[in-house]
Amino acid sequence: MARVLFDLLRFNREFTAGIILLGFVVIFAGLSFVSPYPPNDSYVVPFDLPPSWTHLLGTTSRGQDLFWLLTFAIRNTLLFGLTVAVISRILSLTIGLIAGYAGGIVDRILMSINDTFIVLPLFPILVLFYFVMRDSMSWVLLALVMACLGWAYDARLIRSVSMSLRTREFTETSIFSGMPMRQILVQEHLPFVMPIVFSTTMNNINWSIGLEVTLSVLGFTDINTPTVGVLIYWANQHTALVAGVWWWIFFPVALVIITFIGLFLLAVSMNEFIDPRSRLSRIGN
Amino acid sequence: MRILQSLALLAIAWAFDAPAYAQGSISDLPRKQTLIVENPEGTVKNAGWFNIWAVNAGGQSTGLHQLGMDTFWYIDPNSGVDGVWDNSLASEKPIYNADFTEMTVKLRKGIFWSDGVEFSAADVMYTIETHMKTPGLRWSAAVQVNVAGITAPDSSTVVFKLKKPNSRFHALFTVRWNAMWMMPKHIFEKAGDLIKFAFDPPVTLGPYVVHSYDPNGKWFIWRKRPDWQRTTVARFGEPGPTYVAYIDPGPPDKRVIAQLNHELDIIHDTSPEGMFTLAKQSKTSRGWFKGFPYAHPDPTLPMVIFNHQNPLFKSRDMRWALALLIDMKAVSMASYRGAATISAIGVPPTGRYPEYYHEPMEAWLKDFEIDTGKRKIKPYDPTVGKQIADMLRPSMGDQIPTDPKEVAKAFGRGWWKPDQQAATELLERAGFTKRGNEWFTPDGKRFTIRITVEGDLRPVMTRAGSMIAQQWRQFGIDATTVVAQGSLLDRRNSGDYEVIISWAVETWGGHPDLSFFLDSWHSQFIAEPGKPQPPRNWSRWSHPELDKIIEQIRSIGFDDPKGIELGKEYIKLVAREMPTIPLMAYNVFTVMDETYWTGYPNAETAPYTDPVPNWANTKYMMVKLKPTN
Amino acid sequence: MHGYPAYLIGRLGQFLLVVFIGINIAFIVTHATPIDPVEQTISAATQYGATSPEAIAMMRQSLKELYGLEGTLLEQYATFWRRIAVADFGPSLSAFPTPVSVLIWRALPWTVGLLTVSTIITWCVGNLLGGLAGYYLRSRTLRFAGILAMALHPIPYYIVAFVLLIVFGYLWPILPLSGGSRMNLPHEFSLAFIGSLALHSILPILSLVLGGLGGWFMGMRSLVSNVVTEDYVVYAELGGVSPRRILGSYVMRNSLVPQVTGLAMSLGAIFTGAIITEQVFGYPGIGTLLVAAVHVGDYSLVLGITTVSILAVSLAVLLIDLIYPLLDPRVKVS
Repeated sequence: MARVLFDLLRFNREFTAGIILLGFVVIFAGLSFVSPYPPNDSYVVPFDLPPSWTHLLGTTSRGQDLFWLLTFAIRNTLLFGLTVAVISRILSLTIGLIAGYAGGIVDRILMSINDTFIVLPLFPILVLFYFVMRDSMSWVLLALVMACLGWAYDARLIRSVSMSLRTREFTETSIFSGMPMRQILVQEHLPFVMPIVFSTTMNNINWSIGLEVTLSVLGFTDINTPTVGVLIYWANQHTALVAGVWWWIFFPVALVIITFIGLFLLAVSMNEFIDPRSRLSRIGN
Repeated sequence: MRILQSLALLAIAWAFDAPAYAQGSISDLPRKQTLIVENPEGTVKNAGWFNIWAVNAGGQSTGLHQLGMDTFWYIDPNSGVDGVWDNSLASEKPIYNADFTEMTVKLRKGIFWSDGVEFSAADVMYTIETHMKTPGLRWSAAVQVNVAGITAPDSSTVVFKLKKPNSRFHALFTVRWNAMWMMPKHIFEKAGDLIKFAFDPPVTLGPYVVHSYDPNGKWFIWRKRPDWQRTTVARFGEPGPTYVAYIDPGPPDKRVIAQLNHELDIIHDTSPEGMFTLAKQSKTSRGWFKGFPYAHPDPTLPMVIFNHQNPLFKSRDMRWALALLIDMKAVSMASYRGAATISAIGVPPTGRYPEYYHEPMEAWLKDFEIDTGKRKIKPYDPTVGKQIADMLRPSMGDQIPTDPKEVAKAFGRGWWKPDQQAATELLERAGFTKRGNEWFTPDGKRFTIRITVEGDLRPVMTRAGSMIAQQWRQFGIDATTVVAQGSLLDRRNSGDYEVIISWAVETWGGHPDLSFFLDSWHSQFIAEPGKPQPPRNWSRWSHPELDKIIEQIRSIGFDDPKGIELGKEYIKLVAREMPTIPLMAYNVFTVMDETYWTGYPNAETAPYTDPVPNWANTKYMMVKLKPTN
Repeated sequence: MHGYPAYLIGRLGQFLLVVFIGINIAFIVTHATPIDPVEQTISAATQYGATSPEAIAMMRQSLKELYGLEGTLLEQYATFWRRIAVADFGPSLSAFPTPVSVLIWRALPWTVGLLTVSTIITWCVGNLLGGLAGYYLRSRTLRFAGILAMALHPIPYYIVAFVLLIVFGYLWPILPLSGGSRMNLPHEFSLAFIGSLALHSILPILSLVLGGLGGWFMGMRSLVSNVVTEDYVVYAELGGVSPRRILGSYVMRNSLVPQVTGLAMSLGAIFTGAIITEQVFGYPGIGTLLVAAVHVGDYSLVLGITTVSILAVSLAVLLIDLIYPLLDPRVKVS
């Protein structure tokens, strides 16, 4: 395993770049544990200062040091995105693979559940959830709800791939050789859907973070927990974009972009690593 | 090929549209004769609905109640064009009998509806009788509770017989933001079911009629009536703008951009930072004050409202302790960037109230003492307003006035001195204990406070709430904010909160009578926990002394000088009891662009009305506006 | 019955089930709102003007009667389904007595127009770029394009939209700031109106395309890299078929199948509107209506919009499922 990693780092420039970018973001998020300022206290430094050596990323109109504030925000946002992604991936993979493989009545039942989740409009549900949860609303709760609402679309995608895999020869061979379903799905089909899983994971993280920002922009958020969305919320409350406090928006967005490019490069290199083309040749032999 | 074709078509269309676009966002109207105003209602769902008497079926401040409606009297939130009180459809003030069971109204003659029918006592009779027999109209309940009958001895006199004595019955017909408007009998009597009647196009009594509107509710354009001379404002001259457009300009940042592009003459409200940007970048933009703090102080008093049906806030000492933990300078900076007009007492420091109440109360406040259990302290610091001005002067320079009078007008006078020692003593006296850095309630639980704020609809209040939470937190109370968004009204009305940042005090602004909000603070109206509380005593606080004051106010006339004395008694009572912590005026960053129009109201030379454009009182602004050369 | 007809019937049954469950969940969720439309109406009507407390209680009662909120939840549920049967959602509670369907119809054309165009553009461009990038894995330009698309993708849509607005509405003011067309321009079939319509839609569409590109790009890229490994592609490569033809006739065509599903669902999902787009660009549409309705507890209106959206998405999914076996012969109808 270590050897593989080392080789990847050495020979795969995309992997290296991805690791460096993500490492940077993770270290940055980790700095929140040594922040000199509590994240919710305002007016602890002079406000509206542009980036400088004393305040690397400048200060907000609320008198917060953006550098330290952002360490909290990116940490919470990443945790949020990952929580949603992991839970929803487990759901969508299980349901997608089983439905596609099993077909028939199992497929029909699973897809009925799946479609119900697809057709439910997200926004009213999330907002009403916000109203009902009220004071106990937190990002963990929101992550759970979004995970429950965010798996269906990808499950359908995975199902369609799984359906076509079901018709492939090697599946038939496996069935004839007496492999149990679980084994076929995990060992034979999973590698083929992995590229889709990687890309949908990124899309999913992107979707959940984007939705978090949208809800924040509209004000349906717990403003006591700093996330990228809450940062933008406060920037909006101070009309930062027209007031010329561009750094308040720019740096959070830049950090999100760095995270995603890192994830993208990682996904691309991982796809190449477990390239089904090479796997296929192995099966062929 | 087809793509190229459509592109070419698009380019042609653009070429057609672009030159026109350069002249502005409105097609086919002379920009120089058009006033473009923000309607804070945003996008109106049901644009084609102008029947304002059906509750909330359509828009209100789409120009409809500013330019189209009229009623007996107007009270100005500031000084008024010709005094605070204006007889509009009425020709005199209300005439009551001795025991306030009858009100006579003399009507102005020569006023016409926009379709040429003359306004008369028949319209008033129709309006009142319709409301008496039709439930579910906007003012049905108010009429049914009060009116026993109405008669019209002649075509320009109406007499209301009241069910019980009411010395403030005329308030129903006196515009402060809005009031009960008069209906055109000749239209409505043929309308069938009034609740289902859209009244499109509206027949108006005001100086404008609807010119056109967006079916999707983003804009409404009004045109000056050719017979504007036959409307009530004609007494003050001809309305300046031929056209007035009330539009939804979008979020605060966009309003700023729109005014920088000179496509929005009056911004209703923006953030303090948006205001500063405009002041810096646009030579033609101005606020109510020429310089800092720019904003118009609305006659409302944002405050920290405790829920008095929550046992936690039972103790006066504890409420006072929480007040002494607030550093008003920091709250002013956090919420308004210092552009706040603060008030320590229970009436807003706006309109003419500083001269009625704040100035005369100053001496009493300086001597006012509270007992912390260990000692007596004088909590009032008369220099807080000045301190805020001094704090801002280094960065704002000349914009900050130095004359103490101007400072008091712009920033307010004093406030309570932050005093953690006294707060500790008061909390201890109320049975609270401190362990380590954390405070605990008398029954041993962690002292937590959830401050409910409205969210992005009123950013400055959210910002104030966050700052107060921070100050309480730093003292060892577990205080956080909760954004209520759309549920704020429900939570406030049903008492579903611990502490809320909102206002329970609103006044006429120009007139010293306090009944506008105070009458509803009588203990007779306090709802049971969980049941909705009628406006405006959101804190559900009651006090026998307060009831006595209210009853005395009810028994005297509207203009009785004793009213001010009773008002001062109320102020002393709430200073002692601290049922809510008054903060400051609700300052509205109404920004006016003088590129096309001049003559807007302002604090220094022309405080003739409120520029905040959703007030029906802004109809007086139209006659003062002149085109810029 | 066997084959397609049986599949068809089974699938239709699933459709009806999904719609039924979906609408029921929507009913429960919308009625769970703690916001009382009557309180909202009263507050809005009495917020700034003179009010007497006695009158409020009376007003509350008569509004409840007027809005028909007197019955139990069960009675409201029965009424709701009776109305659905005749495609009626009852009166809106925040614009009483105007029917919910009238409000929805007024906003719908804007939403459908804007979002159909932008979704299709995004889909075409995203898939084309993604397909190319997935096939020509080694191309430097395409790798760069990939990174660019991925860099653009995570920028919160609100920021994309607002930056575009500031650039083209203020710094270089060549495009209108707000609205669906110029004010005071009658909505009719004229060159001026259509031109104005097109001009006002440029920024919203551009922002939606920029914001949505990355998703399709990423999906297509991985699908293509998956299809490339299939036997027929390998044989075609070995057989010397030109890469262009392989890409066009084999790879793209087969990879597109799941993407078509995605497109159909995205098109179905446009019926809740583009909330942030409408907010930032002041564009008329369903999203603004929905947010406003949620804020004032107008559950009739929320439920109306939600129901339309549920129907649209399930129809899209149904159509795709019905066409799917015809498109992809490998999928046997079971």
